[in-house]
Amino acid sequence: MTALEALESRTGSKWEHLRMARQTSASERAEITKALDTFSTADASIVVVGSLAREECTPGSDVDWTLLLDGMSKPQDEQLARDIRQVIEELGKKQPGREGVFGTFVSSHDLIHRIGGETDTNMNTTRRILLLLESISIGRPDAHNRVLNNILYRYLEEDRGLWFGSNSSKVPRFLFNDVARYWRTMAVDFAYKQRTRPDGGFLLRNTKLRLSRKLLFLAGMLICFDCHTRFEDPRERVEFYKGKPVEAVIDRLRLVLAQPPLEILASSLVPYTAFDKSIKKLFTAYDEFLGMLADETPLSSGLTKREHLDTLHVDKIEGDPVATQAREISHRFRDAITELFLTRDTELGKLTIEYGVF
Amino acid sequence: MRSVGFSSGAIAYGDFMGALATLRDGKFPCLELSALRISELAPLIDALPHMDLSAYSYISFHAPSSFSSDEEAWVADKLFSGVPAQWPIVIHPDTIFDFTRWTRFGRRLAIENMDRRKPIGRTACELSVVYEKLPDASLCFDVGHARQCDPSMTEAFLILSRFRDKLVEIHISEVNSASQHDAISHGAKIAFQQIARMIPEWIPVIIESRVTPAQIVTEACRAIEALAPARFA
Repeated sequence: MTALEALESRTGSKWEHLRMARQTSASERAEITKALDTFSTADASIVVVGSLAREECTPGSDVDWTLLLDGMSKPQDEQLARDIRQVIEELGKKQPGREGVFGTFVSSHDLIHRIGGETDTNMNTTRRILLLLESISIGRPDAHNRVLNNILYRYLEEDRGLWFGSNSSKVPRFLFNDVARYWRTMAVDFAYKQRTRPDGGFLLRNTKLRLSRKLLFLAGMLICFDCHTRFEDPRERVEFYKGKPVEAVIDRLRLVLAQPPLEILASSLVPYTAFDKSIKKLFTAYDEFLGMLADETPLSSGLTKREHLDTLHVDKIEGDPVATQAREISHRFRDAITELFLTRDTELGKLTIEYGVF
Repeated sequence: MRSVGFSSGAIAYGDFMGALATLRDGKFPCLELSALRISELAPLIDALPHMDLSAYSYISFHAPSSFSSDEEAWVADKLFSGVPAQWPIVIHPDTIFDFTRWTRFGRRLAIENMDRRKPIGRTACELSVVYEKLPDASLCFDVGHARQCDPSMTEAFLILSRFRDKLVEIHISEVNSASQHDAISHGAKIAFQQIARMIPEWIPVIIESRVTPAQIVTEACRAIEALAPARFA
């Protein structure tokens, strides 16, 4: 039983849409894996991020894929990426968004070496953080695994505070700060897109920002907190970090990261039975959000709720029933997060207060 | 100070007598006699009683890296009866067809972790599958292979953590992108030092770098340096 299923049973909930999304994601993944059978090698992994990787696939979800190269550059790489695009198109899947962040080939070099500084572009940060927090490989995972380990190595090995700091809390700040930076970048980019794309998409992007993007930040934060919370005994924790066991921490983080964000969140919340009401509120809101995106029943306009959210003009949001429903779901999600994470009554809450903002 | 030596195959591929002659002046305490090609196996085993190996305090034997299923029984018998019982026999796990033929070797058989071309034996998880079938076998840890599979050295850490009790020998070299053994580079040295603390000082180190006779001593120094634990920075 997964942590999410355990919480569902414990709180007497029914999160049907979450279950359905997991099933849809599994079958989509199997279909794409079969179609791209021969495209990955020891040096090239096909990596998928987004809803498919988060196991939150609904009808209309796109396939955010990248051909991740970690080896010799070859003239055929461009052709390979074009062929992958064609296969995905032939499967009838929606291609990645228009920014060009995904749907192409990417070398591991920038992802590993350009963390921070002028050369760490918005695109590079997005690719790196999504690779860490919500990526799966289609076919051979060799390059994907190597790059993930190497990125984590950078964040951890160079984090002097984690190994030598006097603070008894052991949270990798370098990694946490980059995850937090990415969360704020998404929020800023939301405003940027509002300006550059006045034609639509505002409400769907806004709803995703309030729910799935926020979930991603939460998962990233919890992964960092796991470095601290996995030790019940503070002396054991201090002793462990004294030896600078970078590879052991990478191994542990990879185990946690192998889970989708919802499961990471659920696993972290399992110990907090006293907060079951808030836990139920949080996952029920998310379940309803996915239910809304998955709902293919046409509205009076003939559009699905997802299409409606995607096309509704910003001036017409006020009083729109679908917009109101989306906002109400996002408020419950936000309130539950506040109850669970902005409290001094839990270890997670204390860490959030200590690290989350300042 | 670590005990180091060379693989005869690295010094003179297919010419073990030539390799021994080249290595004589280096006065290395360790040696791996290599019969990487199946055609080398019988001549090398037949020559063993006539070799002067008294200068070496540690000797291992590298089994052929490729043979057919029809040849497997012959290879296993030849190794079992022809190689002195106290010498570890290093084997690539992907060469084995029938694991039951190899159980009798017990700890004498040292499973080597593989480079990334191979379908098995590359990671701690993949080695676990091999050790399920050969529970008494030991480990020849190829640090170059482990780095090629995962340059962050996390996989090396996992292999050494999980199978430290099985460790009998280290292979060291730079393993390039074509899976060829080169001289140890500065980058490889830094990576190897990351996990050097996990390798006990007394474990024999066999250098597999393809070097010329003039480079042998320098390469041995590099290997020793590469297995000196990194200082925290």
